[in-house]
Amino acid sequence: MLTNSEPTEQIGYIVGGGLRENLRARLTVPSDQVQEGSFVTIYSGNWTFYGLVTNVQLGATDPRFADEQTEQRFPPAIAQSLLGQTLYTNIEILPVLMLERGPEPGTEAYRRWRGEIDQGLRPEPGILPVKTVPTHHARVNLASAGDIAEIYGSPEDEMNFIVGYTREAGHPVCINLDRFIQRSAGIFGATGTGKSFLTRLLLAGLIQRNRASVLVFDMHNEYGFDDIASDSGLAVKGLRNGFPARVRVVGLGRGSTIRGQAPDFHLEIAMKDIRPADIELLSGVLNLRETTPTTLEALVSSFGVDRWFTEFRAMRNGAMTEDEEGKRIPAVDSVAAWANRSGVHPMAAESLHSKLSILFHRDYIVEQPAADGIGEIVRLLEQGQHVILSFGKYEQDVDYLFVSNLLTRRIREAWERRTDAYRTTQTNEPRPLLIVLEEAHKLLNRELASQTTFSTIAREMRKYYVTLLIVDQRPSQIYDEVMSQLGTRISGWLGDEDDIRAVLAGLAGRETLRGMLSHLQPKEEVLLLGWGVPLPIPLRSRRYDDRFWQEIGRGKVSPASVKQALQELGFDQ
Amino acid sequence: MNEIQIGRLLSANSRGFLVGCHVSQVNLPELGALTRVDLENGLAVYGIITDISIAEDGFVRQLATVEPIDETIVRDHRLNRNVPLEIRVLSVGYRSGKQIYHLLPPQPPLGLDQLVLCSPDEVVAFTSTGRFGYLRHLLHEPSPIMIEVLAAHLQCAQRAHLQANQADWSRRAVQEIITWLRDDYPTLIQVLHCLADARLFPDG
Repeated sequence: MLTNSEPTEQIGYIVGGGLRENLRARLTVPSDQVQEGSFVTIYSGNWTFYGLVTNVQLGATDPRFADEQTEQRFPPAIAQSLLGQTLYTNIEILPVLMLERGPEPGTEAYRRWRGEIDQGLRPEPGILPVKTVPTHHARVNLASAGDIAEIYGSPEDEMNFIVGYTREAGHPVCINLDRFIQRSAGIFGATGTGKSFLTRLLLAGLIQRNRASVLVFDMHNEYGFDDIASDSGLAVKGLRNGFPARVRVVGLGRGSTIRGQAPDFHLEIAMKDIRPADIELLSGVLNLRETTPTTLEALVSSFGVDRWFTEFRAMRNGAMTEDEEGKRIPAVDSVAAWANRSGVHPMAAESLHSKLSILFHRDYIVEQPAADGIGEIVRLLEQGQHVILSFGKYEQDVDYLFVSNLLTRRIREAWERRTDAYRTTQTNEPRPLLIVLEEAHKLLNRELASQTTFSTIAREMRKYYVTLLIVDQRPSQIYDEVMSQLGTRISGWLGDEDDIRAVLAGLAGRETLRGMLSHLQPKEEVLLLGWGVPLPIPLRSRRYDDRFWQEIGRGKVSPASVKQALQELGFDQ
Repeated sequence: MNEIQIGRLLSANSRGFLVGCHVSQVNLPELGALTRVDLENGLAVYGIITDISIAEDGFVRQLATVEPIDETIVRDHRLNRNVPLEIRVLSVGYRSGKQIYHLLPPQPPLGLDQLVLCSPDEVVAFTSTGRFGYLRHLLHEPSPIMIEVLAAHLQCAQRAHLQANQADWSRRAVQEIITWLRDDYPTLIQVLHCLADARLFPDG
């Protein structure tokens, strides 16, 4: 049963408006007590409406009262009365949800109403999308902690995780982690707005509540081990250090270290695992020619899908020899000789070989890895562990694109196999997996999105228990189709109009939300919105500091079994 | 009850009445003062003095040119004059039993009914009823003279309320006036200037 929270102080009353153009309320408190984005409740008869303040507007019964400084013309008492009566502040409210509260508790009418619910004659009241408007002069209050908990969930609930606090009153606002991982999600914001902190915060929550396995592609080596905040200079705890038994840090390449520390194990990629599509994905960063697909096809045709990379790498580019007549011809082990044998233009093959030399010389690509790193990562994730893949010294785009796509492709295949097997046997249900992708626009831009595994995951992998958390500062660079698939979106301040538009793509009330997004403080304020959020709300984000870790430490670790968690998540259909 | 009698009615209608009285009366009422006429049927009609006029009686023009004028002649002129001092009163409410209404009276007073000045307690009782509804009779057509009457009335009534320790009354009255007139900027500014001059508040 829903709880009716104690109302807070009244801040105004409804004076007009509607569902299309928002509600208008006259403020009865000084305007500085209400901010854009404030979460308000409106009490109207048997219903409580929930909405967001979208505008604060000064008004006057006659513009001349506002134009003239009448306080200089009249004694203070008269001037004060005059200003109080003729100048006012209106707020615009975007009504979003409504809840039937029923008649006044304790009255006969309430008992009747409650009785009808108990007898099943009317449905149990629940939060509904707004379908009507409150009456004139309905009371408007700032939402209380109880109202916030009613909409966003109680912090006491195991699945709810405090992501921030309301800006005026500091009431905790939760997101439901189950809903959060049901669809791909996004964290956005310009540089320095705290995306990485927020991501750490959410990941810590997910790891602590044990609802899904997490794989982080940590391009800048931020998430595993302790770090120093670039702006404050304070120590930032890494997830590996926060959850030493549950998080594994994987370093790319043999012998790699992450911030001077040894990872739990190293990842090496076997040449046989590299597919032509993994190379085509790098067309942009390696400036590959249009002939590349043809050349790759010929390589696979010549050497097979498992050997083509090894053989191509071994060829000598530009190597020449002399034939019996003393004429210079391509050496037999040269790229050009293979091209001639395979009917490929030698210059195209040589160009591709030259451009792939960056990969040929990467020491994380080996013919025979010391261990099955990819398999180990998959195994850990399946067992409920969390993996942070740190790129170490390989911070170039080419490494990030190549490794993250290849690994994700393998993981996707594994999860698809497990899901198909589960659907056949009804045993060993796959564990939900969240893949965290920093600098997502590099992999999910308009040109690459269709080629990467990630866009497939964003679109349809929910049914295969895999979702994405994309973290990016340029959401406008991410393919529209991917953006439109995102459920929960959390955005810090964005200055670029295109980025703002992208974050709000596909959401109702975009024009209203646009103002809120552009007025966020550059640090520690975020707008929480999207499918997983009942009502968009700007927040003061929770701080990722020692106190947070103390609170996390006090929290309960979810005892729920994987099966139980999956059923609750709705993955068992 | 020591009521101060002002004079008797000369003429009346539903909106107000004209009262005649001697000039010499010691307690000549003030502009804006609250007055009352008791009717025979038990009703009491309340009015605010909106004008006081002393008409020429035919002899005063001649007397005015005589210098020096004897004090006895002045007193005789005031006591024995044929034309009374005229007081115009605007009806602002009535009392029926113990109930006070800020409406026009159901019937006007009759000729030679007596007009009395309301006591401070009665002023407090009448002006505290409702939400200053009686002021609308003054503000209905706010001419410059009516605005002056309004200010004069608030001064008179404020004295009564201060005696009754109701110092907040004037502030509430001003607020109500602003509420009524806030859509009429020129009139409201005129009224407020007048009220500022009435010095209703300690801070000026």
